[in-house]
Amino acid sequence: MTDGRDDEERAAGPAPVVAFDSISKTYANGTVALRDVSFSVPARTIHAICGENGAGKSTLMKILFGLEEPTAGRILLNGQPVATATRDFAGRHGIGMVHQHFSLIPTLSVTENIILGHEPRTGLLIDRAAARAKVEALSRKYGLAIDPDAITGRLPVAAQQKVEILKALSRDTRILILDEPTAVLSPPEISELFSRLRDLRDHGITILFISHKLNEVRSLAESVTVLRAGQLAGAARLADVPDNMIMQMVMGRPVEITRRQPRRMTGEPLLALFGVGLASRDPADRLKGVDLAIHAGEIVGIAGVDGSGQRGLVSLLTGAARPTVGSIRFDGHDMAGASTARWRAKGMAHLPSDRFTQGGVPALTLIENAIAGTDGDKRFQRGPFLRRSAIGAAVERMVRDYSVRALSIGERLDSLSGGNVQKLIAARELATEPRFLIADQPTRGIDVAAAAFIHTRIVAAAERGAAVLLVTADLDELLRLSDRVVVMFAGQITAVLANEAQLTPERLGPYMLGLEGMP
Amino acid sequence: MNRILLAGLVRLAITLSVIAAVILAVLIPFALPHEHPGAVIAAFLLGPLSSLRHLGNVAEYATPIAFTGLAATIVFRSGLFNLGIESGVFLGGLAATTAALLLPSFGPFTPLVAIIAGAVVGSLSCIIPGELRLRWEAPEMVTSLVLNFAILYAGVFFLNYYLRDPAAGSLMSYRIPADAKLDRLLPGTRLNSGAIVALVACLAGGVWLYFTRSGLNLRIVGQGPVFASHLGLPSRRIIMQAQLVGGLIAGMAGAIQVLGLYPRFSWTQLPGLGWTGIIIAILARENPFYVVPAALFLGYLQVGGDFLARDIGIPSEVVGLVTAAIMLTVTATAIFQHPAVLRLIRRIRQAEGTR
Repeated sequence: MTDGRDDEERAAGPAPVVAFDSISKTYANGTVALRDVSFSVPARTIHAICGENGAGKSTLMKILFGLEEPTAGRILLNGQPVATATRDFAGRHGIGMVHQHFSLIPTLSVTENIILGHEPRTGLLIDRAAARAKVEALSRKYGLAIDPDAITGRLPVAAQQKVEILKALSRDTRILILDEPTAVLSPPEISELFSRLRDLRDHGITILFISHKLNEVRSLAESVTVLRAGQLAGAARLADVPDNMIMQMVMGRPVEITRRQPRRMTGEPLLALFGVGLASRDPADRLKGVDLAIHAGEIVGIAGVDGSGQRGLVSLLTGAARPTVGSIRFDGHDMAGASTARWRAKGMAHLPSDRFTQGGVPALTLIENAIAGTDGDKRFQRGPFLRRSAIGAAVERMVRDYSVRALSIGERLDSLSGGNVQKLIAARELATEPRFLIADQPTRGIDVAAAAFIHTRIVAAAERGAAVLLVTADLDELLRLSDRVVVMFAGQITAVLANEAQLTPERLGPYMLGLEGMP
Repeated sequence: MNRILLAGLVRLAITLSVIAAVILAVLIPFALPHEHPGAVIAAFLLGPLSSLRHLGNVAEYATPIAFTGLAATIVFRSGLFNLGIESGVFLGGLAATTAALLLPSFGPFTPLVAIIAGAVVGSLSCIIPGELRLRWEAPEMVTSLVLNFAILYAGVFFLNYYLRDPAAGSLMSYRIPADAKLDRLLPGTRLNSGAIVALVACLAGGVWLYFTRSGLNLRIVGQGPVFASHLGLPSRRIIMQAQLVGGLIAGMAGAIQVLGLYPRFSWTQLPGLGWTGIIIAILARENPFYVVPAALFLGYLQVGGDFLARDIGIPSEVVGLVTAAIMLTVTATAIFQHPAVLRLIRRIRQAEGTR
């Protein structure tokens, strides 16, 4: 009997450091965020939490971090039930959290940011020497090298994230929560982060890792819990389940992960760049000697570490910048230095990477965001006046066709979740039946279902004959959609590859880092 | 539509109760030392409503600030914090006076010609800072503020050397000819036909912003400049168009004020109507349809203050105090974006949404 129990415990691994016991959360406005969620996380493991936007991941983590109180249920830490949402809950229980949007103060130094809230003191003053020593010790202990005196806002994003992690670790942390930590990083930075996180686990820290991205979950975590619509949809050891099983748990229905059959295009390209260069104060925008061709109906994916010139390329092709040298031809017209209005008149559409500043106005309604830029469209206008009923009907149709989840089309854009905003932007941009579509990070930060939907729309646009330029940091997405892959490094093209079955992220790596293919 | 209206009513109700609380909070300390504190508050709150003439006074006060409130609304909606409206009013009044004095009579169209002259010249005060901003990125708040005083002193110079009536006791223009004056609407008040123009202008402004393509584009440029360039909208032209329209309205406000109320042009200081216009624009949440009630409300406070000054001997500056306190509370995010309020509004919308 006793032996049997021992066996069971051995089989289940070490005792759970965190256990959620029937956690439910209903907000004051009646929204049910979590319903009877129970699972546990063994000590010294990396545990992933997956789910669509609004599945309850963040709420659950906020409860664990002490920011929210569950309506029902308990949290057990090391087997002991604890009172939740008490003052300094996270600090006392050694729980640290790295938020998706950094909570650092950009004008303060790294040291100041890390010690903020629990500063070592001498009398009334902050003991700066002790603080600096503490930060250096932390940084050494966990192998997260950082200059303690640097001004945080001037550091690159990946370094700021290190600061954020050190801050989360700075109070004898045993449990570390990371909310979508890779959204802001490039592939090499992601693998660097992952090896640091494995080190942390080996130091005895339990890591809860929230992510949308299955490949990351698989490469980092040992086990996964999936939430769907506030309920537990499944939990598994990653070694035991295939990808499409997890996808099915996330979405609640079977999903096909297929790579699009790439097409080989011949003949005159619709868009052609020859020897295009762009001078800029920001090195991330610079381009040098770029030759690029896209045929009608072809999807060309741009791969590259963030800041390799993708932004400069997009700004040239959307009319936001004028090339310093070189020619840009679209459908027989010289388009070097053409304005955005001219590009749009020629059939350009653009899914911008920044949804809330470039893609729409948060404070305007869905209707207004959906018909923005359709100046002169006789369906929507009679003289200078807008035809409200015709517009209402058209926007209702867009919302339905693109399954945008919204209370009403009269709501403000910022009442929607990120995925739904992106669907509305896609609906607007694709409504023009573009001949040239630029999709810049089209699915970043949005849930799997919305991403799959956006993908089908991009492919459909190509099949209607649009030339598509896909810029994405998500290499799976890139390989799934592209006919050809163009790799950029430091503003130059290092490779143009047909998207064949043997093309893998690993093969793209050396070109992305400029180790191969530099002219 | 229905539930959005209902949710809007919640905000209105909160606004009204906040305003009522503020008025009482400011007024009670002044009323208490008085023999009949209740009478003081009654005079302030009910006096303006006590007769048709007093209501006329309210509308008379409201007329110029409805114009400047509309001008500020349109200028701010373009995303520029252009304060040229203040000197636009001054310039508009001066130019209208000049036109009335120097141009021949156009019969019944004389006021119209003078107002157009005032509007066109007045618009310069908003156009110049706008152009400086778009061309050289000079901050429009600074340039317009400084320009206000440059225009004032240039205007006073012009008044002194070209329009001054040497027979008058102080620095003021010759008498404005009778056929250039606006018709009075209500005996015993200075309410004039300009009030009707103001009402129509505010409604037209609302229709422009919310029912036309170019109004939508203006709101996009103002609230989402990056989005506007993503769409390829001609942002510079749209911004300048708003400065022009705002300036024209400010100039019109000055012209109508002078032609409607005064026998001569005698402004030697900035009249302050532009500043009040900014208050109106903020109070009206930069919505032209709300400018009219906001202007009437400030007019009502002003007339109430006149009652206190005339009948009770409390300085009418109390009105300024009340207005300032109202501005502080009405713009307070802590009240209007309070989670409880937002929850209530969301619940109302959802209750109807799931019908």
